Amino acid sequence: MNPNLLAVPIVLPLFSAALLLVVSRWGGLQRMALQRWLAASVLAVNLTVALALAHFTLSGHRLVLQMGGWIAPFGITLIADGLAAILLTMAAIVFLAVLPFAIGTIDLHRERMGFYPLILLLLMGMNGAFLAGDLFNLYVFFEVMLMASFVLLTVGGQPAQTHAGIRYVVLNLIASLIFLAAAGIAYGTLGTLNMAQIAERLELAHPAVRTLLAGMLFVSFGSKAAVFPLFFWLPSSYHTPPPAVMALFGGLMTKVGVYALFRSFTLFFPAFLVTWQPLILSVAGATMLVGVLGAMSQPTIRRTLSFHIISQVGYMIMGLGVAVDGQKLVSGFGLAAGILYLIHHIIVKSALIMAGGAVEVEMGGDRVASIGGITAKRPLLSLLFFLAAISLAGVPPFSGFISKLSLLQITLDSRHWLVAGVSVVVSLLTLMSVTKLWLDSFGGKYRYPGRLAPRLLDRPILRWLVLGPVAGLLFLSLGLGLNGERFFQIATTAAQQALDRAGYIAAVHPVSPESVAGPAEKGGYD
Amino acid sequence: MTQLILALTVGTLFACGAYLVMRRGQIKLILGLGLLSHGVNLLLFGSGKLTLGEPPIFADKKNFLVELATRQFADPLPQALILTAIVISFGITAFMIVLINRRHTITNSDVVQGELVPLLLEGDPFATGQRQNAEGFDWLAFEVDEVYERGQMGERQDGITPDSDESAALEKDGYDIR
Repeated sequence: MNPNLLAVPIVLPLFSAALLLVVSRWGGLQRMALQRWLAASVLAVNLTVALALAHFTLSGHRLVLQMGGWIAPFGITLIADGLAAILLTMAAIVFLAVLPFAIGTIDLHRERMGFYPLILLLLMGMNGAFLAGDLFNLYVFFEVMLMASFVLLTVGGQPAQTHAGIRYVVLNLIASLIFLAAAGIAYGTLGTLNMAQIAERLELAHPAVRTLLAGMLFVSFGSKAAVFPLFFWLPSSYHTPPPAVMALFGGLMTKVGVYALFRSFTLFFPAFLVTWQPLILSVAGATMLVGVLGAMSQPTIRRTLSFHIISQVGYMIMGLGVAVDGQKLVSGFGLAAGILYLIHHIIVKSALIMAGGAVEVEMGGDRVASIGGITAKRPLLSLLFFLAAISLAGVPPFSGFISKLSLLQITLDSRHWLVAGVSVVVSLLTLMSVTKLWLDSFGGKYRYPGRLAPRLLDRPILRWLVLGPVAGLLFLSLGLGLNGERFFQIATTAAQQALDRAGYIAAVHPVSPESVAGPAEKGGYD
Repeated sequence: MTQLILALTVGTLFACGAYLVMRRGQIKLILGLGLLSHGVNLLLFGSGKLTLGEPPIFADKKNFLVELATRQFADPLPQALILTAIVISFGITAFMIVLINRRHTITNSDVVQGELVPLLLEGDPFATGQRQNAEGFDWLAFEVDEVYERGQMGERQDGITPDSDESAALEKDGYDIR
């Protein structure tokens, strides 16, 4: 397969975002239509490329692109393996699903402020982060993604958005600075930023360097993934932007942090997956528990859902915690379960947030105390919300069940009774919380918060734009649940690839500068 | 010696930045973030070899290997990294300043200043015991100390009491004052 394909998911959104900014001045009243169609076609191409990459990598290959033909540690390396390709595909699917929802629900003001170029830049940042083969590019793409998300979060300038935006920006900036400092320390101690070469040299490095880097990366990525002590920025900001933006953020943004954790711990610190296991598992358990307890106490649908994101991230971290553990099951079962959970979560969470957003659009508010009885007026919306909610909680025919079951299997197999118990309890609490949410807002007497419910879903086009993507994502979730074995096989391939460090290093094949340019002097920094 | 000075500078910048970020003031927040990013930039700078007066270029291309083995070089990579990091932190700082200015405009404008206190009291679930107001409380809670700074809780320094017309005007202007 042509490795240049790897540049497409990064270059295509970048250039089309620029193009969209240009055409935003053309076409009079129709100018939004042009932008929408362009964005949709770009996202479709992106999905095709992602699927092609996934098809190639999940048959056991890695695809490496050395930009400009520079050999590994000197140039920019892009690498796709199974894990990266899976996430690339999921991001493409969610973006393509959210686009019609956004067309239906975003107000014209925000559309004119460059909504479509911004989501393309967000996509570019995510794709770049998944494909980055060196630590500094990972940082840069994180920042590209965050910059786009800052603007998406605050565009519109409502007071609540501005307040949430400040917290979000500050906390993400601090996490990024910790990451950047870790990259600096990696370069200072190991003399390289190429991830494969870092993995190679970390084995020979001083143990203190390993511990320091692992700790800094764990704090930084953990903060971006919203794990237990560092999650507080998420519930205070995610409910403020429009529902379409929240669907993108909730489905994908924190998962980039989870991906970075998966990647860095399997590639750089495989030993810490064993020695730090109590830490990782307790963080996972606390994240699950705190997230779901927070969700149960929230007054609005979207706040509840943003706390659920935290709780779900806990499950993925649990998968990381037992990544190489297990007695009877195949190696990599734990990480595969984590990856499967990641896939499930991205699909279902976006669907659920869009369904919750549809409620807000329909009723003019989403505070559970002041809405009710939607089922009578909008049976389809009610059904979709319910199905997404039980899928999130892990009820059998949907994808939540197999992903939670496989996580439970591996935790029981590796005899972590406590975290297994916590995950079961949290599943029950999640079910309770979403059922309560559904009963309160969809059942009972029909009531709405304002003087008049907007009832936007009366318009048939809008109904399909808003509910179509939710139904599509739920269909995917159902397919994932029904073909559980097949998808678990895919996740296992990706997990084994991610755990195969020697293969990764060999694929990138970094050379040391000494071997290229002759002997260099050893020694300190003076 | 050079490394020691650099290390101490980085440490001081980190300490001051962390302290300032944890303060409540908005300008202090921006300054703190600036100091933190300067600290990280200097850390990146120190990750290369610290050489004095050595350019990161080879004068003589033919004797590349000999020069590499015998001469000291400035490492160009950290400089490139710092340049990127500076651009990124510059952009984010500019964005932060706009955001904070925007918040200042919202909370300090003629309309909202009077609105803030009744909203605080109304929105405070602990003061009124109304659970359904808990949602509006969240972002306003951040401003409590600013209200204290401006005057006593519940009264404005200019003696004007806020009335309900302001709230209606706010709603008309499209502010979400729930």
